[in-house]
Amino acid sequence: MRGAFELAGIRPLPEEAPEKAENRYRGRPIFSAVLLTLIVLGCAGCRLIMTKDPTYMDLSHYNTAPNGEFLFGTDAMGRDIFSMIWYGGRLSLFIGTASAAISTVIAVVFGAASGLAPAWLDALLMRVTEILLSVPGLLLIVLLQAILGEADVFRISLVIGVTGWMSIAKVVRTEVRQLRGHEYILAAKCMGGGFFYILRRHLAPNFVSSVMFMVVMNVRSAIVAESTLSFMGIGLPLEVITWGSMLSLAEKALLTGAWWTILIPGLFLAAVLMCITNLGNYLRKNINRKESNL
Amino acid sequence: MKKRNRFVYYGKKILTFVVSVFILSAVVFYVSRLAPGDPLVSYYGDRVEKMTPGEREWAKERLGLNDSVTVQYVRWLDHAFRGDFGISWKYKTDVVDVIGGRIGNTLLLGGLGFVFIFVFSLLLGVWCAWHEEGPADRMICNVGTLTSCIPEFWLSLVLILVFSVTLHWLPSSGAYSVGKERDFADRVMHLILPVGIVVLNHLWYYAYMVRNKILEEVRADYVLLARAKGLTKRAVMFRHCLRNVMPSYLSLMAISVPHILGGTYIVETVFSYPGIGTLAYESARYKDYNLLMLLCILSGILVILCNLTAQIINERIDPRIREQEVSERLEVTEP
Amino acid sequence: MSELLEVKNLSVSFFCAGGEVQAVRDVSFSLARGEVLAIVGESGCGKSVLCKSIMKLLPGTAKIKSGSIAAGGADITHYTEREMCKLRGKLFSMVFQDPMTSLNPTISVGAQIAEAVRVHQPEITGERLQERVAELMKLVGIDCPGERMKHYPCQFSGGMRQRAVIAVALAGNPAILFADEPTTALDVTIQAQILDLLRDIQQKLGTATVFVTHDLGVVARVADRVAVMYAGKIVEIGTAAEIFYEPRHPYTWGLMRALPAFSKGRDSLYTIPGMPPTLINPPPGDAFAYRNENALAIDYEKEPPMFRVTDTHYAATWLLDERAPRIAAPVGRCGEHTDGGKSRRRWEDTKNTRMEETASNEILLDVRHLSHVFPLNRKTAVKAVEDVSFQIFRGEIFGLVGESGSGKSTVARCVMNLYRPCEGSIRYKGINTCDAKSFRKNRRMLQSTRQMIFQDSDSSLNQRMRVCDIIAEPMKIQHMTPPRASFREEARFQMHYVGLDARYLDKYPSELSGGQRQRVAIARALAMEPELLVADEPIASLDVSIQAQIVNLFRHLQQEHGFSFLFIAHDLAMVEFLCDRVGVMCRGRLVEVAPTQELFSNPRHAYTKALLSAIPIPDPRREQARRATEFCAERDALDGELTEIGAGHFVLKNGEQ
Repeated sequence: MRGAFELAGIRPLPEEAPEKAENRYRGRPIFSAVLLTLIVLGCAGCRLIMTKDPTYMDLSHYNTAPNGEFLFGTDAMGRDIFSMIWYGGRLSLFIGTASAAISTVIAVVFGAASGLAPAWLDALLMRVTEILLSVPGLLLIVLLQAILGEADVFRISLVIGVTGWMSIAKVVRTEVRQLRGHEYILAAKCMGGGFFYILRRHLAPNFVSSVMFMVVMNVRSAIVAESTLSFMGIGLPLEVITWGSMLSLAEKALLTGAWWTILIPGLFLAAVLMCITNLGNYLRKNINRKESNL
Repeated sequence: MKKRNRFVYYGKKILTFVVSVFILSAVVFYVSRLAPGDPLVSYYGDRVEKMTPGEREWAKERLGLNDSVTVQYVRWLDHAFRGDFGISWKYKTDVVDVIGGRIGNTLLLGGLGFVFIFVFSLLLGVWCAWHEEGPADRMICNVGTLTSCIPEFWLSLVLILVFSVTLHWLPSSGAYSVGKERDFADRVMHLILPVGIVVLNHLWYYAYMVRNKILEEVRADYVLLARAKGLTKRAVMFRHCLRNVMPSYLSLMAISVPHILGGTYIVETVFSYPGIGTLAYESARYKDYNLLMLLCILSGILVILCNLTAQIINERIDPRIREQEVSERLEVTEP
Repeated sequence: MSELLEVKNLSVSFFCAGGEVQAVRDVSFSLARGEVLAIVGESGCGKSVLCKSIMKLLPGTAKIKSGSIAAGGADITHYTEREMCKLRGKLFSMVFQDPMTSLNPTISVGAQIAEAVRVHQPEITGERLQERVAELMKLVGIDCPGERMKHYPCQFSGGMRQRAVIAVALAGNPAILFADEPTTALDVTIQAQILDLLRDIQQKLGTATVFVTHDLGVVARVADRVAVMYAGKIVEIGTAAEIFYEPRHPYTWGLMRALPAFSKGRDSLYTIPGMPPTLINPPPGDAFAYRNENALAIDYEKEPPMFRVTDTHYAATWLLDERAPRIAAPVGRCGEHTDGGKSRRRWEDTKNTRMEETASNEILLDVRHLSHVFPLNRKTAVKAVEDVSFQIFRGEIFGLVGESGSGKSTVARCVMNLYRPCEGSIRYKGINTCDAKSFRKNRRMLQSTRQMIFQDSDSSLNQRMRVCDIIAEPMKIQHMTPPRASFREEARFQMHYVGLDARYLDKYPSELSGGQRQRVAIARALAMEPELLVADEPIASLDVSIQAQIVNLFRHLQQEHGFSFLFIAHDLAMVEFLCDRVGVMCRGRLVEVAPTQELFSNPRHAYTKALLSAIPIPDPRREQARRATEFCAERDALDGELTEIGAGHFVLKNGEQ
């Protein structure tokens, strides 16, 4: 131990052991992502998968239970459900994303305006949003539909989009308000950054993550809205195949006991919605959560 | 607060309410008249197609559709103030009677649903927050997400398939069996599925919000002080955290009333339940103007009333809102 | 058992995603009845975890790994939550750091105190409960308790809230009171009042107190005994006199020397090199060795045991081993310097020559009759700044001091054109920057030669940008070509300049510590080679030892660059080392302006005197004998005009004493 008590002075800290590489896939919705991708790909490439013409009414085979030829059976009009699923899914997903896109554009503009507006205007805009938000969405859609007239794919996307922006707008507005108080915005202003510079470099990257969640949820609610409308016979006509319009025959199926016409399109719908929800929740999760005090 | 101030406060709210209803009626009136579609269809049904132009003219004159929209609106307002909302063109009776005959059913369905949602979402939310990240909480979260993202109508269909078609336990449609209008047990049997679906569909949305709000509260510093006093965890949860969550929960529930009632419309359609939901869709589609107006105004009143209630809860019950005002002021002095 | 609280070999760890964080490691201490023990250490050294683990208030991820806790004569190590509930509030209670968040905002203050009374004395009800609450509120110095108990926390100021929290903590007549940094979040003068209150209560009720703080200066005022913690361990423990007058552990030396009061008269503040280690994998041996100039070879290998100095004084350092070389403690008593008055004179000389060299008589910034009003609603408004005038000469460091709400930040923001002042003028290089037209004409020059540093480095750096992008940002905005090859090179250079390692270039701000983040903010400001630097409380949210590092850095940089500097702070201690001239602000008014030496030796305004007396002196004997002077601001003390009473010394006439 001689020399142990000699002055050694400051030595550098030993290099820290590299952090344990955490399981990259932990907590990530891998299953949902894969399933959703498969369904979306299937719908996009429906021509390759379909075994029959989805619009062809094979009246000799109506209400057939699933078998080797009709994988998922046929509906009351003799159409092949397996083919209809992929064919109709394309439209359902398109309506969902299109109307979510419309909502997002309206919401970002409206929310950012409200967030940047002076207090009184902000309060006014937010009251309008809240009132609109508390009107049952479906009622709004029906009213708008009545005004716009006969439904087609674009019109219905527009209607759903126009009625679904309120909650995203609220999120955008809150985020902008919060960010506005951050000192790095002030710092950027001091350095001479203009409004658009700040929007591009500082605001947008910061609110994207929380808005993403709302957008994803909006895709979900748009798909639900479309299918509900079609189911109730006030959305797309029966000839336009979507998951919703496929289900509009379901009430008759209840009487005949043709469970496959209800369960199969519904399961697809539910699976997609569930996957979207899981992905959305993952986007929202904040990693550094404080510990509970209780 | 001084009495005078309170008077002014509620006076302002009532004024807002009246003005909003007035604006709403005007907007709905104009928009519905300007929309495409033939209003005569709802009165004359298929006969419209066979009408000669002269007959059409006469019919329009009779229904007062030839005047300018403003004149029509003033006339409608004039009648409405005297309690006359006109007749439904489709049912050919007073709209008040048409709605009155059905509104009870909707209120029963929606009201029951609301009460259950109100009670269970609070209980479920607190329970999940208490067992945060435990296996039970995780399971409930997953099941809850599942039920809330399945479309209402499909859930109804599946439950009918299971409980009515396959098991024959519960009736699949209507509010009561024929001839059993006064049978209480029969009514209950008819309500189980619709109410169950309304509750299942909305419950998790609110319970999840309660859960997250409580989890936020539980992380606040005052929880530590309350525990340092010697309060048990249970006491802290109920006397402090839950109490702080209540104002926002109450105001959310107030806003949710129209949503839950809106949710019953779909269930009404699936179960052929005689409520006003189906009525609303029909009137909008067939341009049954008088019926549409009254329904819109009723829902509008409900929406506005609920919003005002939520606002009052926020502003009056929660002292933190007052604090926010103060802190905003502080922020101003020392930004 | 005579001791009220006896902790033996306690180890507490948090088990989280990154691994096991050993927050408290093998800590033993005891507390006698009626005694005040102060636990001192930098943030993250486990001092408040220690208190919370005794009261079992830690979250589920924390585990007591070993050791025992005995309180009130019973071993409570393995008590269940139910048993602990009976003890909390009655045997021990706790006061927390931030009074703004530790009261429930939706329950009236009186009801929260009453709740605490009723937990252990349910027999007290009705009238008697009200009396008891009023009595407690009086005890902690809240006037008109009858009325105040109906108020909600939001109607209380910070200091009053902390008093209410103390009342809650005292409601069950606890034998031990844990005070977890009770004054850190408060203004200096309020801090002095709360410290006096805690001392009074301790004397009146005989409550034993464990006082946790990162500020050694505060300790001198309240403590009987002091424990110094570093990296989860107690490295030295002894009576206050022993710790302050004969410290043995090099870390205690370092903490002591980092106090501004000990550097009085020296050229720069002493700083402890480096940073505290992370507690995920604490280094072997003495954790402090890596920052210790006097570290021995053995320190890097073997943990030192607790060496006994006297019966009450123990220290864990190999320097106390008989085989170790004798090293004289580099700290003397406060105010006594090893070289007497020599260095002070030398410092003043250098300062004067520096002044002559750098500070010319050219006025760089001229603020005249600045007023700013924030409208609250249509009827009322807050006067944040009222008739403030001052000048900053080229190459000068001007300090602006005031407590929260005094309007100093508003002044800074007006200077930087973030707010448009309601009245008055601000001239920078002769350009009236308040005038929109002349501002626009000179925008580029103004935006590149004036830079600002903010208080909260956490929010002044965008969490989503890398360090190198943050530093290069102002150059990119101004479309400057980087003088050194690339923006990245430029960022590397600036980082080196402010003492940051280049390996942080690609890190995000959240991966850095508070001091490092503030260095990034400084590097960003310096990248533009500014002529005027405005720093809005740049050190307020940092630990004392880190504060000293930043102040030294500022001083060094200012000497190198020669920029003019508006330095805003809320307490006077650090200002003394940095600034050439100081202005004191109170409620929107500038009450006194003077050269630093003059202001500290000859304060004239009542408020300045109160501020100065609130600075804690790290000398227990002197500190415990004195009380802070309070400034009861009548409005007219803040009225009147600034009048010159000596060379460059201005004071508000009405408040002069």
